[in-house]
Amino acid sequence: MDMNEIKEIFFQECEEQLAELESGLLKLNDGDRDPETVNAVFRAVHSIKGGAGAFGLDDLVSFAHVFETTLDCVRSNRLEPTQDVLKVMLRSADVLADLTNAARDGGSVDGARSRQLITELEALANGELPQPAAEAVKAAPVAEAPRPAVNEEGFQPVAFSFDEFEASEPPTIEPSTFEIVFKPKSELYSKGNDATLLLRDLSRLGEMSIHCDMDELPALDRMNPEAAYFSWKISLKTDKGEDAIRAVFEFAEWDCELDVALAGDASAGAGEELPMQPVPFDLSLLDEEAPAAVAEDEDQSAEQPRDLNDAAVSAAATASNILQMAQTAARAPAETAKTAGPAPVTAAQAAGQQGASAATPTIRVDLDRVDRLINLVGELVINQAMLSQSVIENDTNGTSSINMGLEELQQLTREIQDSVMAIRAQPVKPVFQRMSRIVREIADMTGKSVRLVTEGENTEVDKTVIDKLAEPLTHMIRNAVDHGLETPEKRVAAGKNPEGTVRLTAKHRSGRIVIELADDGAGINREKVRQKAIDNDLIAADANLSDEETDNLIFHAGFSTADKISDISGRGVGMDVVKRSIQALGGRINISSRPGQGSIFTMSLPLTLAVLDGMVVTVANQTLVVPLTAIVETLQPEASAIHSFGASQRLISIRNSFCPLVDVGRILNFRATQANPVEGVALLVESEGGGQRALMVDAIQGQRQVVIKSLEANYTHVPGIAAATILGDGRVALILDVDAIVAASRGQSLKPEMTLAAAG
Amino acid sequence: MARKNTARKTLKLAPVLDLNEATALHEKLLALKGSSVEIDASAVERIGALCTQVLMAGARSWKEDQSSFTFSQVSDAFIKTTQLVGVDIAPLMAKET
Amino acid sequence: MKKRVLTVDDSRTIRNMLLVTLNNAGFETIQAEDGVEGLEVLESANPDVIVTDINMPRLDGFGFIEGVRKNDRYRAVPILVLTTESDAEKKNRARQAGATGWIVKPFDPTKLIDAIERVTA
Repeated sequence: MDMNEIKEIFFQECEEQLAELESGLLKLNDGDRDPETVNAVFRAVHSIKGGAGAFGLDDLVSFAHVFETTLDCVRSNRLEPTQDVLKVMLRSADVLADLTNAARDGGSVDGARSRQLITELEALANGELPQPAAEAVKAAPVAEAPRPAVNEEGFQPVAFSFDEFEASEPPTIEPSTFEIVFKPKSELYSKGNDATLLLRDLSRLGEMSIHCDMDELPALDRMNPEAAYFSWKISLKTDKGEDAIRAVFEFAEWDCELDVALAGDASAGAGEELPMQPVPFDLSLLDEEAPAAVAEDEDQSAEQPRDLNDAAVSAAATASNILQMAQTAARAPAETAKTAGPAPVTAAQAAGQQGASAATPTIRVDLDRVDRLINLVGELVINQAMLSQSVIENDTNGTSSINMGLEELQQLTREIQDSVMAIRAQPVKPVFQRMSRIVREIADMTGKSVRLVTEGENTEVDKTVIDKLAEPLTHMIRNAVDHGLETPEKRVAAGKNPEGTVRLTAKHRSGRIVIELADDGAGINREKVRQKAIDNDLIAADANLSDEETDNLIFHAGFSTADKISDISGRGVGMDVVKRSIQALGGRINISSRPGQGSIFTMSLPLTLAVLDGMVVTVANQTLVVPLTAIVETLQPEASAIHSFGASQRLISIRNSFCPLVDVGRILNFRATQANPVEGVALLVESEGGGQRALMVDAIQGQRQVVIKSLEANYTHVPGIAAATILGDGRVALILDVDAIVAASRGQSLKPEMTLAAAG
Repeated sequence: MARKNTARKTLKLAPVLDLNEATALHEKLLALKGSSVEIDASAVERIGALCTQVLMAGARSWKEDQSSFTFSQVSDAFIKTTQLVGVDIAPLMAKET
Repeated sequence: MKKRVLTVDDSRTIRNMLLVTLNNAGFETIQAEDGVEGLEVLESANPDVIVTDINMPRLDGFGFIEGVRKNDRYRAVPILVLTTESDAEKKNRARQAGATGWIVKPFDPTKLIDAIERVTA
């Protein structure tokens, strides 16, 4: 382990601490007054400061220090954590997160913002009440807040480096003789210290003579064996000065009487009256157990810390140590003893972890390793399917023991796959926590008062899904606050709580994760949506739409209900983008809205991106897989339902509405001419923007779960194709990118030169 | 070799004579009161001030009782530590060793 | 025999720094993540010296030190307190709880090893 690795650990830990900090502050904001909550918040900042100090991250240290000081006021009940106070703290937590990111990625932070918060935090610590938020923001650019003097409170960050083992040179002073009187109290011993050790350190400073005063020692039967009776009078000739002498007693200062004085020049001091015993210079034997030999030379390095390089254990010693530790750590793998370099550390960790196992039954594993395992299990699933298939093909007797064994194998394989997937499953908590910051920021920008309530944060889903969840969720939250919630005035007028509520929940439902985002705002203004859709030619002026259909119009491309594009959720990005990214994850999104009471967005996502439920179809003798989530229904077209228009466009009528027919084989350039729809099957799919299309395929082979194999990683991106998979018979099947196919059918052609390659 | 006199007892000191050992050592010595005692400090690796106090208090009490209290064998660490803390054990060394 | 050091700190960063520093200096290092775990592993760790943080969940450094001092077998073990607080109040509380000495964070390896050497034989 080197410094970079520790630094990496530090930043990982920062992320956890920041999450801890934020959730703690939010709990306080909700009225939680549990001292442990305050402690946890304090510890989070404290911990970040501690690590940052070790790495010399001064900006982070100084901000964390001010923050910590204010939190300490809360902890010691000197500052009431009112909502106004917590507002400052939550913003400080955001800045702390920014500073951490800047420290890691080398970015820059909004200096004015952090200085402003430092001023506000210091004001809070000084017992000043927080200013109302609006004024505080205005006040921001006014004064260049003084940079916090880090040293002010005795906290001085010292950059940590393993190279800095040289001790600072003690000032060389002319050797002089000191008379020291040292009388320990009993507490010195009860705290694990020992006069012997202090005298040992003292003797290292120079030439020492000593007299042990035993006058107070009682008779054996009257003594308390743990009480201090001895005291010492010491004469020490040293060039290190009085400070070095006092430094020896640093830890014992309160637990002894100590008098240090320069001996008189006449050298007729009291010392001569007592029989002084010279202390031998060579005390090395006392250090027999010390890991490093003391450099006890005639030179003046007696006080110098031991040369740590000398401590490097010889190879033989290391080997025996490892063996020993491996025995201690009962579960340490045998390889540990064989590996050369990092083995001692590993073994020591193993030993430590063994002791700690009861408290922390978790291990940290490189994501790469898990991914590799997931890939291998994917191969196993495919292999098992292939094996089953070939056995079925070659074995006419369906009850053979081989068949039964295969069934068990299939069951086991599935269980292994589920278990392996569970390794990568993580709670959605971190993403949900990020959302609270988004809510705060937009609430500030829009002047709305918002409360984010989260539920089901511990619902687990594959890490790859979590990583892709943040973006659409962020957009939806922005949308909910900006468009969903009313201003406090309007809310009051409507008889509602001026503070709006956004509720974010996650739960598992039938093998998928369902995420709901509900606001208690005005709900969707259907008249406005409808008018806008008519204006944009999305629907006919006389179209007869259900409420649900109207609500879902907001997912159409280029649709925005806000009267003017706001800085927050506008940005030229509409809910259509959200819908598309959810669909790209194999998910669906829905809205239901009640006027005056708010809207609920419901997303349903697969638990993993590693496998997919697909419909296996044939197109021009090629086997393709269509994600099941995209398919609304399948139907057998009748000749009477097919209507042609234009040169090559065809529509299919389904229950009195027309839907464009998309010839998949033609689009992918699998064949030169259009297929006859009546001979094939139409898959009604919902695509980007909510529009429905009928995908024409030749035949349906069946439904099955397939293991997704990235084409990009193994080959190259192929337009119209999302990924590939290997079927039970060993054939490679391409997984259709439904959105891309539909887009191509609208004239945005796929690159023709690529399509043949895709088929091959 | 320590058994010339039937009244003479031997006390072997533990390797580590720290705070915890002080009470134990105190009790062991008290139990030996009245007999001549020979202390075997050959195994001592570490001796703290508290145990040194107990030993010195023992030496005094034995002297008052006019019994013999000697160190038969001493380790290097024992000698050096007592020297360090200014406790002279030379007068207590057993003459015959 | 290597000297055994038990470190008690809830920060993974600090734990790793301690581990590297102590291992480099030839100590055997046993680590716990908070006071409760520190007391749990005390027997198996059988430390020659303990280095502990103050601010920790479940059981803080003060409580941990008191716990060690109440343990008949380990009450004599020297305990060094690792703390960013250099103020007298924290030191005093740690001392009253029975700490032997302290190391002000951010520690540098020399200071850490030096302090350990000072309180161990």
